Amino acid sequence: MQVEPRERVLAATYACVARFGMGKTTVEDVVKESGVSRASIYRLFPGGKDQLLRETVGWEMNRFFSRLAEAVYDAPDFASLLQEGLVFAHRAIQEHDVLRKVLETEPERLLPLITVEQHRVLDFITAFLLPYLEREERAGRVRPGVDLESAAQYVARLVLSLIGSPGRWDMDDPEQVRLLVRDELLGGILR
Amino acid sequence: MALPTMTTEAEGLSPAPTESVEERAVRATLACVARHGLAKTTFDDVAREAGCARATLYRYFGGKRQLVRITVAREAARIAVSIRDAADAEATFEDAVVAMFVRAARELREHEALQFLFAFEPEVVLPHVTFDAGNRFLVGAGAAISPALTRFLPAERVERAGEWLARVALAHALSPAGPIDLTDEAEIRALVRDLVLPGLLRPEPTT
Repeated sequence: MQVEPRERVLAATYACVARFGMGKTTVEDVVKESGVSRASIYRLFPGGKDQLLRETVGWEMNRFFSRLAEAVYDAPDFASLLQEGLVFAHRAIQEHDVLRKVLETEPERLLPLITVEQHRVLDFITAFLLPYLEREERAGRVRPGVDLESAAQYVARLVLSLIGSPGRWDMDDPEQVRLLVRDELLGGILR
Repeated sequence: MALPTMTTEAEGLSPAPTESVEERAVRATLACVARHGLAKTTFDDVAREAGCARATLYRYFGGKRQLVRITVAREAARIAVSIRDAADAEATFEDAVVAMFVRAARELREHEALQFLFAFEPEVVLPHVTFDAGNRFLVGAGAAISPALTRFLPAERVERAGEWLARVALAHALSPAGPIDLTDEAEIRALVRDLVLPGLLRPEPTT
């Protein structure tokens, strides 16, 4: 199967970061790992190493949330979708070795990039959630006067917050997750 | 030395009579960070800005790390009091929560040191408010604002609500893009009334 050079370069950068960390990864490493020439890499990513790292963070966040969407897309209703999503994402974050390692050793390099790329993820989650909310509305389960777009934005933003930092909530306890979704997340949205 | 340093040095030489060394040092640290950022601020800069001898400052703080830690703790406590005061001035739960968000947004917007850090040294702030450190921040911030909620909620819901309000504020502060503008009071009110409060007030199910 032919993989786009761009995709190959991003996957290679990710592999290098997993091995060497963000600070020590060089464009040379990515050339070796990807088999794409230095000239082509600079054509695709004129910003060099900085741009490679930034786009690789965005690329992995994209993959993470695509896997999450795939894991929950056939949930029977909106509340179950959120419950399953929170539990899945919490586990996936705990088990994400590369994220854990870089968070531990180079948080100052990673976190600003995650924050820059975050609005893309927010848009992605919002767009993913909206059809489920529309389905709830057709079933007559949405509270009167709720603006679905704002509601989807709110839920997306707070789900993202909960995935990174659950705070008081124990995401391994299904009863707690059910309460959190029913009250804090959906109390103003569903009947 | 550049002119701004001279001006503030003059301020530092005539502090309010009741201001302690610690208060002066905190004010000086904030002024230096607002001007040059955290990495470039030295212990000497702060001493000069505060109008203190370096040795005096050293006796109190023992170094930049400790100075920064105390500055952060004092600022956090001051902002928490400011947010609780905003809530205490209101009669209804909705007005109190709106006032808390409005005040928090204003404290953030008008905080020159924090604004510098967000703009130019995000790597200094973000490790303290995201992932595992985010848990500690949310629990702490939630506990700090909770006393303002006891008037409106059953005791067992107070801390849970405090943490949720802190989370809503942080989630918007860290990713300001989006349809909700937390500097606009009407938008804050709509968010609070329609999406946030119903979840906090939801009664325990009877079945």
